Amino acid sequence: MSLPRWALAFADESGHTSNSDSALATVTSLASLDDRLLVEQAQAGNRPAFEELVRRYDRDVLRLALNLMKRTEDARDVYQEAFLKVYRNLHRFRFECSFYTWLYRIVTNVCLDHLRRRQARPEDQAPDLHSGQFEDGGTDFFECQREKRATLDPEQHLLGLEIKSRLAAAMERLSPRERIVFEMKHYQGLKLRAIGDALGTSEETVKNSLFRATRKLRNELGILR
Amino acid sequence: MNTGEQNKPCAEIASLLVFYVCDEVNEQERAAIEQHLANCAACQSQLSEEREFQTAIVSLVRADEQADPSGILLARCRSELAEKLDDLKRPPTKEKVPAFAWLRRWMALHPAWSAATLVLFGLVGGVQSTQWLTGRSDAIALDQTVNVRPGPRITEDQLSKMAVAGVNFTPSPYSGSQNVRVQLSAQQPVELTGSLDDSDVRRVLTYVVENGDRFDSGVRLDCLDALKARAEDAEVRVALLAAARKDQNPAVRLKALEALRDASADGGVRQALLEALQHDSNPGVRVEAVNLLVRSLETAQSDSLAPLQPPQAPQMTGGPMVQASGGGSDVDGSIENVVRAFDELRRNDPSRYVRLRSAAALREISARNDQ
Repeated sequence: MSLPRWALAFADESGHTSNSDSALATVTSLASLDDRLLVEQAQAGNRPAFEELVRRYDRDVLRLALNLMKRTEDARDVYQEAFLKVYRNLHRFRFECSFYTWLYRIVTNVCLDHLRRRQARPEDQAPDLHSGQFEDGGTDFFECQREKRATLDPEQHLLGLEIKSRLAAAMERLSPRERIVFEMKHYQGLKLRAIGDALGTSEETVKNSLFRATRKLRNELGILR
Repeated sequence: MNTGEQNKPCAEIASLLVFYVCDEVNEQERAAIEQHLANCAACQSQLSEEREFQTAIVSLVRADEQADPSGILLARCRSELAEKLDDLKRPPTKEKVPAFAWLRRWMALHPAWSAATLVLFGLVGGVQSTQWLTGRSDAIALDQTVNVRPGPRITEDQLSKMAVAGVNFTPSPYSGSQNVRVQLSAQQPVELTGSLDDSDVRRVLTYVVENGDRFDSGVRLDCLDALKARAEDAEVRVALLAAARKDQNPAVRLKALEALRDASADGGVRQALLEALQHDSNPGVRVEAVNLLVRSLETAQSDSLAPLQPPQAPQMTGGPMVQASGGGSDVDGSIENVVRAFDELRRNDPSRYVRLRSAAALREISARNDQ
């Protein structure tokens, strides 16, 4: 089984072993445990078990954070804040729901806080979609979208660009809750019931949020038609 | 178009199409939608738009694909997290379930019921505890009350200048003992209320008793009444002895002796009794001194295995001979001196009653020694 380099690096940093073979064995054995056992070990103070839990879900967490926050710096903040909250509060987790649901509850709350704070600061609104530069040297993903399709039929390309641009701008105007629901449904592939669990609300409320979000976005596109 | 044959109107179906395209309808809704769509072109058209929209949003290049295509950002996040975890000294471990967690949860969820229950518990508890405390206070001995004694608040200067307007007794609500209320008129009128455990109250009372010439005899008697319950206290006893020896009023001296009744076996007290026998001008006081001395000898006898042996046999008319022996431990208040003093009184006391009482006391002592 080939493990990514960071997995071994984590095992080494934990101080439990300095030998890469034994580190590999530790990581492999932890990787074979189900969430419940890992959570129990982490609750007992086992740091590698906690790190294994992080590795299981942090890719999804970062993806959600990036797509909601649109800026790598904000996404990194959300990632750190969310997992530190998980670490500090893991001893309170009582298996009343799945760890995944509990984790997403924390992550979505952190995202909501960040989005609300951003909304409250007019000078710190959504990133300039036409800036052409993404943080950390990356280019803005909508700009990339344009470049990527530049060789296609120019007319279709322009229409497609306009639609996507409008869509992206309309998404920025959704309420934080509507954005999260839309993101988790269409880009994270979660069921509405699971989204309700994560947000600590009913499936019906989530359904309403999704409906409103879809209507707002479709109205934006409708202008182009 | 709604042909009228469908179960649901278009508006209702249209609102469900959003969820139909993303597979968030139940079987019943799905069946209703599909049945409607089969006959409604308008809703079919709207379904197509919903699907186009779905395609459009899915085709958007996502931020995560652009920002972290190679996973470098993820690795960086993990590394930063590991560093922060290192900074946290001790990971919190699973906390124990707090006691009565279920009760707390229930109370949080039912605030009205919780409030009603608490009020009920308060009422029942209050009624029951009052009854319990009442029953208990009857059983508590007077001296079992524990009091924290504060430091003295009345200065010596205030004591020397004070005049006592009145001493009253009120029953203590807690121990069944009496509270003393002393009204003082010094530079400013002061009223002290408290039990004899209160150091200020005790200081004022003993001061009055020891300095009888400055206070009204009625006040002195009241103070002695209050202090007799604390005759075992060294400070109080000194004051009582002083009053028994020096007070100008025989009633006060008599009361002071009575207050010392339970402490009559003490050497200092016996000495004071002897002095009262020999020097007190009031026959009532001398008789009380005789009585208390007899009592003190009884106490001493019952405390000791050896019988009392009077040191010498004074010649008694019509009475048994009292044998002397060195049984007393005090020089001045020893049994010899007591018997000698009784004998002296029996023969020379100007009061006939005192002479008779002394003779009777000598007979009592002699009879006990014969047993």
